[in-house]
Amino acid sequence: MDLLNRYLHAVGFWLPKPQQDDIIAELSEDLRSQIEDRAAALGHSLDDDGIAAILTERGHPMLVAGSYLPQRSLIGPALFPAYQFVLKLVILWILTPIFILMVGPATVLSSGNPFLGLAETAWTLLLAAVFSMGIITAIFSILERYPHESTFQWNPRRLPAVAPAQASQPPKIVSRFNAIVEVLAGLFASLLWIGLMWSPHTLRVNGIVIAPTPVWRSFFWPILLVTLASPAAGLFTLLRPRWMRTRACVALGAHAVVLILLGALSNMGPWVRVVAPGVSIAGVANANHWTNVSLSIGFAFAFIGTLVAAVGEARLLARLNPAQTPGPVTVRR
Amino acid sequence: MELRRGCLILAVLAELRAEHYGYALRKALASRGMAIDENTLYPLLRRLETQGLLLSEWREEEKRNKRFYRLSPGGRLILDQLLQEWQNINSSLTRIVEGEAWMTES
Repeated sequence: MDLLNRYLHAVGFWLPKPQQDDIIAELSEDLRSQIEDRAAALGHSLDDDGIAAILTERGHPMLVAGSYLPQRSLIGPALFPAYQFVLKLVILWILTPIFILMVGPATVLSSGNPFLGLAETAWTLLLAAVFSMGIITAIFSILERYPHESTFQWNPRRLPAVAPAQASQPPKIVSRFNAIVEVLAGLFASLLWIGLMWSPHTLRVNGIVIAPTPVWRSFFWPILLVTLASPAAGLFTLLRPRWMRTRACVALGAHAVVLILLGALSNMGPWVRVVAPGVSIAGVANANHWTNVSLSIGFAFAFIGTLVAAVGEARLLARLNPAQTPGPVTVRR
Repeated sequence: MELRRGCLILAVLAELRAEHYGYALRKALASRGMAIDENTLYPLLRRLETQGLLLSEWREEEKRNKRFYRLSPGGRLILDQLLQEWQNINSSLTRIVEGEAWMTES
């Protein structure tokens, strides 16, 4: 019976003190009855292997103890959808855009090594996400345990209005998150572009200087126009979600301008100049050549990507029947 | 899963119209075709007792202390209500399933 006592002790370890003795006494009685029954069926008393088999059937001590405890959850099913929404809002809609558009570029530009800057940004974003998750979980677990009377009070009259046609027509899905990213990314790109042209920056990596060539200056206004088209399209989605055709026209126009720009730019290289003090002339020429070749490959990929996006917008425009315009749209969270 | 859980509660309450200790109750239920895992039965007995549906007492039998359970007066009322509800649900389900069978045949 040494095995049995050890098992009971192991189960007791996981039980709350006030109930421990009572539960263990009942569990002990049940196991002894089972051991006696099996011994009677076999016609001889059970050895350690026989007892071990019964204990194994009964289950891991922690699981057995757990089955006596009330089912507990940090955040219950009633609050979970709200918890999930707030988590998504904070981590995906607030933290990530801030880090991608503000913290990341600032860290990369101030860091000597861009890769280290990126790694530092990713690590800080991870820490911020974990910290936010912890705080949000703590708040919701408090709300779960001490629910306020007003938590689930509601009035049908205060529910958001729905456009009349929206109920009868299949919705056209536009992601609100994408629209916000479109606005923020476009604004950031516009500011970055103005900043770069106002005071040309150079990228310095281990003493090697990479500077843009004057060819970019002749593209200042067209590129600024394209970068501003993106937030305009995003704003259409957010503020006038029913102006689908206008939005698609703006986006299609912007894609067309980008295609023309990329075509013109790719014929006007070199786009950057590499200066590396202490490196041979041949070495610098080689670096210049391959950097610009990499950029031309980048232009080619950008051209293909923009073409695909333009075809997507054109198809969307074709699907939008003018009779339905302005068509209803569901802004997906 | 939920269906079985509800049926087990009914079976346990019904079986405890007569007094049983845990192991004997498990054997009685198994012999009537309602086998129940020990790790489900004992926590369930405690929960039902906490809710006031069962009464229990430790007593010595065959030189061993055993905990005997029986239905409380309140538990008897609840059992009657539950059985009535179960019979209503059973009748409705039978009508639904038979209707489905009739539609399939025709």
